[in-house]
Amino acid sequence: MDDHGTLPLTGTAYAHLFRPGYVHRDLYADPAIFAQEMRHLFGRTWVYVGHESEVPNVNDFMMRSIGRRPVIVTRLDSGDIAVLINRCTHRGALVCRTQRGNAPGFTCGYHAWTYRNDGSCIGVPLKHAYGADFHPRQNSLMRAPRVQSYRGFIFASMNEAVPPLIEHLAGARQMLDQWLDRDGGRPVLVRNGEMQFLTHANWKTVYDNAGDGYHPPFSHTSMLRVFAERYGDVDMQYYSQNFDESPILSKDLGNGHTMLDQRPAMHAHSAWARQHVQPGREVMEAALISQHGRERALQMLDDSTGSGMNLNIFPNLLIIGNQIQLLEPQAVNRTVVRWFSTTLEGAPPEINATRMRMQEDFPSFGEVDDTAQFESCQRGLEDVPELEWVDIRRHMSTGAGRVDTDGLWREPISSDLHLRCYYDAWRRIMEAGEAARQ
Amino acid sequence: MRMAAQAKTITSLAPDYFDIGHYQKLLDTVAEWRGMTEIAVERLLSADDHAAICRLLYLEARLLDSGRLTDWLDLFTEDCVYWLPTDVEGRDPRLTVAWEMNDRRRLEERVERLSTGRAFSQAPPTRTTHFYTNIESFVGTDGTVQVLCQFLIHTNLDGRVSQRAGWNGYVLRQVAGAWRIVVKRISMFDADMPQNNNSFTL
Repeated sequence: MDDHGTLPLTGTAYAHLFRPGYVHRDLYADPAIFAQEMRHLFGRTWVYVGHESEVPNVNDFMMRSIGRRPVIVTRLDSGDIAVLINRCTHRGALVCRTQRGNAPGFTCGYHAWTYRNDGSCIGVPLKHAYGADFHPRQNSLMRAPRVQSYRGFIFASMNEAVPPLIEHLAGARQMLDQWLDRDGGRPVLVRNGEMQFLTHANWKTVYDNAGDGYHPPFSHTSMLRVFAERYGDVDMQYYSQNFDESPILSKDLGNGHTMLDQRPAMHAHSAWARQHVQPGREVMEAALISQHGRERALQMLDDSTGSGMNLNIFPNLLIIGNQIQLLEPQAVNRTVVRWFSTTLEGAPPEINATRMRMQEDFPSFGEVDDTAQFESCQRGLEDVPELEWVDIRRHMSTGAGRVDTDGLWREPISSDLHLRCYYDAWRRIMEAGEAARQ
Repeated sequence: MRMAAQAKTITSLAPDYFDIGHYQKLLDTVAEWRGMTEIAVERLLSADDHAAICRLLYLEARLLDSGRLTDWLDLFTEDCVYWLPTDVEGRDPRLTVAWEMNDRRRLEERVERLSTGRAFSQAPPTRTTHFYTNIESFVGTDGTVQVLCQFLIHTNLDGRVSQRAGWNGYVLRQVAGAWRIVVKRISMFDADMPQNNNSFTL
């Protein structure tokens, strides 16, 4: 990823969907492209399926998906994680229909074929009818051939030949480290409820938005205006004038991963001081100061305030503030956006309660408006065949990009860098998928 | 937008009631509601009080459905809670994210946001018609007056029809002779499933 999405695009199967600075509306509106994405894109790369703290005990399980493939993430006796394809090898029914729980195995409700939580088939009723050489174990559940965790984040791949996870994460790894190492690296827990937003829009629209540092002062006018009138220069007010000249920036992390880094503004003085008020702010702060002293209390609060990072991990994992966002594509124009909230293991109750209330802030005041924009974009992209192209040109020709001190390519915050990087990775994987099918 | 002309009512308080102990009280109340069986006769309110409380609920619904949100805010006490959980199990809000966990200050901000004319999730606004039924009023074990009811909110957003359903739990208090809302907990029966656009006021 050294061209940062600016090289002329060449290719075969999908070349017609791209021209410099533009992508075709079919990427958002064509059900055939969507089906190919589910097969190739989600079938060939690493996909986030959950966090280890969600399945802490032996036999814990949860239902997730790899593209549209239903999977079960299970914790085995060994402590290892397995990712089973939730499709009975008999007739295709789901063998697990419960979102999460604890069980040593799964029995299909249809004909009672039974599987251990490592996928092995251990029971088939009336199996004599399949002949003398039939063995249940030959009919075990399919498993994702590759499963790896990075510091609690579980990724799976349907592609045996996928490069190692670390290699795939590229520059996103160090950003994930920085996200995890706040407050002395206290372990992050992901079992604090979630918000599931249904949006009638293509799943990539959400990814486009997560890396879009151009929209905040406009799409979020209502939120910023209320906060400014009440509290002055708090929250994202740094998106006021000339924000492209401000220290916040957009970064290419390689392999389609990108980041909006708002830390230079959000954390410049104190993240906690800049954070929009939430229920209990003053009493929780006072309680923490009386228990831990002013310096330590404010340090903990700073480290628990929004991370200032929009870390976008290809193809569908978004880390925003203190939340883990997972995009679940349901159809070309229907997506479920799951916002998993996080606490810190062993943190004072005032810290974790404050984290909960802070994590309700943006979804309630900002995400709702973005979701309306997604649906509005979808309408325009689906319903106007005469206008085929979507503009992704910002900062393509301004020469404003440069290598940052950490060696990563950076561009001004309002750049469409994230889209160009994303679609480069998209094309590479999709073309390889098509080539493999020939 | 229909709310744009309304004046703001900023009280600018720094609410001091949302401490760890307050959460415990909320959690205890919800546990009581969820475990409720037949309500003992001596805990029921008088017919007159019940009628007055029903009138409060009907007024609340009318104000919501006609977009008079600043008037609706006046039905809430200074130490109010407006709570829309993400779970259906009555989990601890200290460790569970909510769709909305608003104190008075945040509830006012919510109403102000909707009145900016730039809240794109409500442009055009969601039209609603609220139905409250199965209304039961009683005195809780902590001595407060409480109400449980079922709700159905029929909505239309720019031509798209949908419903929200579930039960509400209220804690009420008399302020200057009128019943006012101390807690409104909206328990959507599918709060843990994908929700499209709940940026109107439930």
